[in-house]
Amino acid sequence: MSFEAGAGAADQPGEVTNSFELRLQGEVRAIAAAADSISAKLQLLQIAEEKQVEILLAVHEALANAVVHGCKNDPSKEVRCRLEQYANGHILIVITDPGSGYSPQQLPDPTGDEHIHRDHGRGIYLIRQLMDNVLFEHNGREIRMWKY
Amino acid sequence: MDINVRKRSQVQVVQLKGQLRLGEAVDDLQRTINESMAEGDARFVVNLSEVPMIDSSGIGVLVRFLASAKKRGGSVKLVNPSNFAQKTLRLVGVLNLFEVYEDDDQAVASFN
Repeated sequence: MSFEAGAGAADQPGEVTNSFELRLQGEVRAIAAAADSISAKLQLLQIAEEKQVEILLAVHEALANAVVHGCKNDPSKEVRCRLEQYANGHILIVITDPGSGYSPQQLPDPTGDEHIHRDHGRGIYLIRQLMDNVLFEHNGREIRMWKY
Repeated sequence: MDINVRKRSQVQVVQLKGQLRLGEAVDDLQRTINESMAEGDARFVVNLSEVPMIDSSGIGVLVRFLASAKKRGGSVKLVNPSNFAQKTLRLVGVLNLFEVYEDDDQAVASFN
């Protein structure tokens, strides 16, 4: 099952010209190092700075979601993160966790009056605002995020 | 993340430096807030000029911080958030919850 959000799906992005994959333990303290690795890769690929920070924050949110909810902060579990750059310059980030999944469509809008003062529940919303296209696969255990 | 707190005219001025994100940074800020509130402080200024990025956990701490301060009759006012921090706060709709000032002096003076 997959869910789609944001602008239309990437059409014909061409071949993958660069790819990078990392795995991290399912604990919060592993997130910063993984995000820093992605940041270094984005710099190497000479992605525009504004896009870099938006991608990086989305990656951070998705990794936090995978570690906290997917792995229950258990270092014996593992999160996979893959970055791909396509011939047309589009960037795809895929993050997969071993959790039981969830339905991202059922998350409440954190900007609504009844939720605006809550101290949690903004991560997925933020990802959708920062990236151009977001897909959820395998019952929410995998998130695929595009930046055009 | 570096957290520096100093008191000016009965207002706690919290200067942050670094990314405010899940993990040590958010935990340290939450601890600092808890300690300060335990001592009776309720008026806070948070300078975000040197915070290039805030994630949803960092936003959560700021929102909780504001609610706690208001409950005690005070407030939390923000100073000069970096462009991306401001954009992020706006994207999730919480920027309007805070008063935002250009510098510490203006923010401190606004409590009087």
